Amino acid sequence: MNQEQTYLLGEQAVVLDLNCTRLDDAQQNRLFALHRHLQELRVGRDIVVGKTSITLVLKNPAHCSTWQERLLTLWEELSAADFQPTTHTLPVIYGKEAGPDLLPLAAQLGLSPRDIVELHSSPIYQVKFLGFLPGFAYLGTVPQQLQVARLDSPRTQVPAGSVAIAEDLSAIYPSGSPGGWRLLGHSSTRLFDAQALSPCLLQPGDNVKFVPQKEGLC
Amino acid sequence: MLEIIKPGVQMCIQDLGRYGYRHLGVTQSGVLDPMAMKIANTLLGNPPDTAVLEITVGLSQLRFHQPTNFAVTGGDLNARLDDCALTPGWRYFAKSGQVLSFASSPSALRAYVSVEGGFNLHPVMGSDSTDLQAGFGGIEGKALSAADQLSYKASSEKQSIGALQPPYQSQIRVLPGPHCKHLNHSTEQLLCSQQWQVSADSNRMGMRLNTSVPVSHQVTINSQAVLPGTVQLPPNGAPIVLLNDCQTTGGYPMIAQVISADLRHLAQLAAGAQVSFSLTTQTQARRETQKQQNHLNQLRIALTHRDRSFS
Repeated sequence: MNQEQTYLLGEQAVVLDLNCTRLDDAQQNRLFALHRHLQELRVGRDIVVGKTSITLVLKNPAHCSTWQERLLTLWEELSAADFQPTTHTLPVIYGKEAGPDLLPLAAQLGLSPRDIVELHSSPIYQVKFLGFLPGFAYLGTVPQQLQVARLDSPRTQVPAGSVAIAEDLSAIYPSGSPGGWRLLGHSSTRLFDAQALSPCLLQPGDNVKFVPQKEGLC
Repeated sequence: MLEIIKPGVQMCIQDLGRYGYRHLGVTQSGVLDPMAMKIANTLLGNPPDTAVLEITVGLSQLRFHQPTNFAVTGGDLNARLDDCALTPGWRYFAKSGQVLSFASSPSALRAYVSVEGGFNLHPVMGSDSTDLQAGFGGIEGKALSAADQLSYKASSEKQSIGALQPPYQSQIRVLPGPHCKHLNHSTEQLLCSQQWQVSADSNRMGMRLNTSVPVSHQVTINSQAVLPGTVQLPPNGAPIVLLNDCQTTGGYPMIAQVISADLRHLAQLAAGAQVSFSLTTQTQARRETQKQQNHLNQLRIALTHRDRSFS
């Protein structure tokens, strides 16, 4: 049973917290439907989806208490069917320099390198939320067999475009950064461009399909 | 043109911040002391959100290559125009070739410089602010370095004028955070019952606080949106007050939220400074924001009358 509730965070933000450990697909899409609906209403200075919550930073803080009620009502009214995700197909070169953790991971899990590629590229992932870096999308869900912890010691520099996994999530580094995720491959699709009119390719709720390229393992 | 001779510890271009992109992982950026920025722009008749220079610690020098009225606000970092000492909260006139310098101060951390008409900049995603982590905005997404140049339009001399800035304090007012219940303590118990010391490990992303009696725990929460002013309590029990460059989501329990009006005080607390927190109410928080707006309105009205009587 979910006991969703709303509360204020400071003077300007209202949070809808679904108070559960994880969301099922229907709840997840309902949350994205709410995000999109709030975007269309243009009342938020920022609207941020979390793992099991949504935070609405209001343009006009005087409306905070009204929105504590309204968020709950909207959550009740919306359904998963109100959200239609966009799907992105991203080419990935798996293994070798593009994915230096692929072979060690295969050895660790007792799988062949091809199994790893197959496992990683089989699901249609969904952007659960973004964070860490501009355009860094947390993609769920990595197949159970491939779920592994982060590296014990993070790399000081992960190249932009690295396709990586950590626990039940996958991601593509939109820019170079330190990072502790395991690198399986590389995608040359530009994910974030601050100068572009629409700077970020992946939006909350979008679907992502990885396509292994013949330049790498496939 | 304003030439950076010595940038000091950190000098960067900031405005009120970048909004509307937080769901894409884009941080807010922007001045840590918005009141100081607005005072500077009010003194010069600029729109209040005109981008300014944020100077951290001081130990810096700038040379004006065109005459301009400028304002120095925020913390008192012992600014001078050539040999003449300047008071924060005032506007001055610089002739071409004059050097503006900042020493440093044990009791202040950040000063702001604005020029009449603002600097010529190219906004990125709706803001002139420098996103120092992601590397965009401001001047090529970086903190300023020696020989960098900021262009502006020359202006003709106005009478020097200023007013006392609202004082800075080290008692910060907060509203309760949502996750205290998971820690079986209240915001008061976790944050307001002791003095904290600002850690040297603090920056524009966050201010880390040290204590001899940390409340350690093993609680994590599902990643959710955090904001500048959110106080997180990591498992080691040393709270982090998130500031403008913080990430957009976080998984540490959120135990408090600093009220908007008091964020400016955090901008002036250097490593080693003592800081304490007290609980307040939504009503009081809104009242404090209104008080700051009133201060700016009064300043603008007073300046309009003075400038008229000078001309």
